[in-house]
Amino acid sequence: MNDQSSTTERVSCGLTGQKYETLESRDGMLTLRVEITEARALLLALHKECAFEINTLVTAVDHGIEREDEDKPRFDMIWQFQSVSHADRIRIHSWAKSQEPVAPSIADLWSGATYGERECFDMFGVIFEGHEGLKRLLMPEAYDHFPLRKDFPHQGIEPDRLYKAWDRERRQEEGGEA
Amino acid sequence: MGSLDAVHKTLAEEGFLATRLDTFVNWGRKNSLWPMPLGLSCCGIEMMAMVGPRYDIARFGAEALRFSPRQADLLIVAGTLTWKMAEVARTIYDQMPDPKWVISMGVCASTGGMYDTYSVVQGVDMILPVDIYVPGCPPRPDAVIDGMLKLQKRIELERPVKNLMEDRSADNEWIEGHGEMIRQENQAVPQHDPSAGVASDESR
Repeated sequence: MNDQSSTTERVSCGLTGQKYETLESRDGMLTLRVEITEARALLLALHKECAFEINTLVTAVDHGIEREDEDKPRFDMIWQFQSVSHADRIRIHSWAKSQEPVAPSIADLWSGATYGERECFDMFGVIFEGHEGLKRLLMPEAYDHFPLRKDFPHQGIEPDRLYKAWDRERRQEEGGEA
Repeated sequence: MGSLDAVHKTLAEEGFLATRLDTFVNWGRKNSLWPMPLGLSCCGIEMMAMVGPRYDIARFGAEALRFSPRQADLLIVAGTLTWKMAEVARTIYDQMPDPKWVISMGVCASTGGMYDTYSVVQGVDMILPVDIYVPGCPPRPDAVIDGMLKLQKRIELERPVKNLMEDRSADNEWIEGHGEMIRQENQAVPQHDPSAGVASDESR
C-alpha cells in the first residue's frame, strides 16, 4: 500500500481504454473516480486484468439532502479491493446521481460483495442492479427507512412499529385460541 | 418481613396451614431458580463468569442453566436487545412456564444504555415484565448475584397458595405499554439544551 507507484503502473496497464481519473488520498491508497455509467466496465476490468481477488468494502457516503442537482450529487459510492498476490489495495469512487441511488452490482464478480451490497442497500437504500436477492440484512425486512441517510434522525423513525404489529397479531391469535 | 400485626392478619385471613405452605413452596422456589440465559452481548460473558467456579451461583441454587425456556423459570436478559431480536425475546418469555421471573442485566437491557438509537429497544420492560434491574456496563457477577438474592427476597413475599385458590391471571397481567409509559415520562423531563449551558446539564 505504501508503494503506490507499482500499483498505479499495474492498474493503468489493466485499465487501458477505461475512463477514470485519479484522486489524491490521504492514506496513500490508489483512489480512482469513475462515472457511474462506466463503473461496471471498470470494475469488470479490475477483476479480470488487475488481480484484485478480494472485495473488502462496498459502501456509500451521503453528502446531505440539499445536494440533489446533477453537478453536486448526493450519494458517493465507494468500493475497496485488495490484491493478495501483489499485496496492495485500490479504492473506487463514483457519484450515484439521484435521490434514489442506483449502482451496478459486483456480486457476480466478487461473491463476498453480496453481503456488502445488502448492507449498503439496508443502510443507504442504494439499489444494486443485477444483485439477486437484494433484501435487508440488519434491519427488519418490512422496515421502510434507511438509517444511515443524513435525513434519518438518530433515535429512529418508529423503530417499534413492526414489533407492535407482530405483538398485536400474536395477542389476537392467543385471544382467538382461548 | 411484616410487623406482627400483619402476620396475625395474614393468619386470620388464610389460616396457619396455608401460610406455612406458602413459606414451604417459596423456600423451594427461591432456592432452586433455573435460569434461562439470554446472553445478547458483553453482559453474557459476565453471566458465564457468574456461573463458573469463581463466583459460583450454585451456592444460591441457580446453577442449572437451561437453554430451553420450557425448563426455566428465570429469564436473565443480558445485553443489548435490538428490535429485530425483541420478537424472539418475547417468544422465549411466553414459552417459559409459570411461575417465572425476569432479571434485566446491565444498562442496555434496562434502559437501552448508551444505545439511544433506532435499532435498540429502550429498556426490555417495553416488551416484558421485569422483576429485578441490575445496573452496570456490564455489571460484575457479584452484582447479578446480589440481584438474584433480592429476587429471592421477593419470591419469599409471594403467596402461591392464595394465588392457586384465586384467579391469579389478574395479578400476573402485565400492563401493555408499560415501558412506553415510562419512556413518555422520561421524555417529559426537559432535554439538554446546548444554549442553556452547564446548569441544564446537571438537571438532566
